Amino acid sequence: MHIGATTDSRSYRRAVAAGRARMASAGRRPWIGAATVLGLAILWYVLTTATGAVSPARFPRPADVWSAALQLTLRGYAGGTLWLQIWYSSRLVLLGFLVAAATGVPLGLLMGMSRRAEALINPAFLLIRPIPPLAWIPLAIVWFGLGDAAKIFVIWFAAFVPALINTYTGVRTLDRTLIAAARVHGASERQILTEVMIPGALPLIFTGLRLSLQASWTTLVAAELVGAFFGLGRVLIIAAQDIYPGMIAFAMALVAILGALMTGCLGLLERWAVPWRRT
Amino acid sequence: MGRSMSQISFQSVSRVFRRGSEEILAVADVSLEVADREFVAIVGPSGCGKTTLLRMAAGLDFPSSGSVLVGAREVAEPGPDRAVVFQQFALFPWKTVRENIGFGLKCRGVPAAQRNAAVDRYIEMMGLQGHENAYPHQLSGGMQQRVAIARSYALEPEVLLMDEPFGALDAQTRIEMQEELIRLARVNPRTVLFITHAVEEAVYLADRVAVMTRRPGRLAEIIDVAPVRRAEAWEERPIEEVMDLGSFTHLRTRIWKMLRDEREAKAEAPRVTPLQRRKAGP
Repeated sequence: MHIGATTDSRSYRRAVAAGRARMASAGRRPWIGAATVLGLAILWYVLTTATGAVSPARFPRPADVWSAALQLTLRGYAGGTLWLQIWYSSRLVLLGFLVAAATGVPLGLLMGMSRRAEALINPAFLLIRPIPPLAWIPLAIVWFGLGDAAKIFVIWFAAFVPALINTYTGVRTLDRTLIAAARVHGASERQILTEVMIPGALPLIFTGLRLSLQASWTTLVAAELVGAFFGLGRVLIIAAQDIYPGMIAFAMALVAILGALMTGCLGLLERWAVPWRRT
Repeated sequence: MGRSMSQISFQSVSRVFRRGSEEILAVADVSLEVADREFVAIVGPSGCGKTTLLRMAAGLDFPSSGSVLVGAREVAEPGPDRAVVFQQFALFPWKTVRENIGFGLKCRGVPAAQRNAAVDRYIEMMGLQGHENAYPHQLSGGMQQRVAIARSYALEPEVLLMDEPFGALDAQTRIEMQEELIRLARVNPRTVLFITHAVEEAVYLADRVAVMTRRPGRLAEIIDVAPVRRAEAWEERPIEEVMDLGSFTHLRTRIWKMLRDEREAKAEAPRVTPLQRRKAGP
């Protein structure tokens, strides 16, 4: 018994040490990434500015992007300043994403838990799923006009699918023995849901939410390109009409940064909600 | 409930599984009584239906005919009066050691303070101090199974059902756990139904060993170990000494031979079950 205890704590310590080693190698990665980004930036400068190998009419120089950034921030472009455009786009993404998560995750849980719910919902889902979300834009405009509601509807449609499928898969691939273990230790149906199915599916739920968030951004930009009064997609389409590569590049970078920020927030939320996966 | 009453009672239990159009008789007419506070082990070749018997006592499976009673009531569903220890531990990966052990009590609605006291007791009893807040994947197999056993014991169930609980452990850890279980059974006696294919383990742990035949699983014989164990005070001795005793090796060899005879008898006779015979008819 004592021998057992020491070997066990040793193997535990070994597991912790392995976890640290993994984190150390992950700690080195940001430096490699930063070097790559710096290299690309230098290449960009050399090609467009120092040598002039690429014409600034085709690809903006760093200075063009900088002046576009200043213009958008200080004077505004396409009907508003930087903050207004960011606010409009982020708000729509968040609303669409939240509606998608609030419907996709519970429906996925329901389909994962109950064969009857699955039989009921799945045919409709399979019928609608092959339609690309962007193909709903015309119908959304007919139903809701050019306002926010149409965009939220299309985002919801795009983001709903990965949230639902991953949640469903998370529940369905759960080890059946764990459910049996919960039942033989006295868990009620509700406790099986809250203590076993949801935490067990959580890693896949978060995978689904990450994909949903990405789909939300993709769809938003597309929807704003088609028709919007404000927003980053609106900035992009106006800049294209003005043949303004600096502004196009800046707006694209903004979409990328905002998307990464939101994904980062979701990652933090996941770390907090799924603590057993950390080591 | 009187002590003379049996806690677990299998009454002419048969179980037929359907695989496509084929019918497979997994358990054939098994009758077995397990008395209150008795430790009964079932041994038999793999696929003989021993785990099916356990699952029926747990309420995770049901007999095709006959009945299974626990505490004089027919088993209709799983319940915390019959905690199961699984071969694959089946700990909740998202719960710490402490939360896993307290799971059953939480389900029952035991207040946190009272629950913590009980959990502390079982952490100490199973030698899990220092690992209270670890997650299962941070523990070795032996430690994980200690947690699973503590989780089941914490419910103070009438009946403990153990399905090859040490089957996934290495030989060394397995022996430690067998000793541990004997110690636990002494301080906290329960009615135990223990499934294993390891004959030595069964003889060392059980009051009685039920030997099953190959599929379709029937009871070949029940061997009473308790009188020998008591007479020679096995529980006072270390496991390696017990396994060296003449009486121990005698019982073990007897069961081994029984299993081998069974195997050879089957090899000679064509394996026709009553069900198959019926299906083959006109």
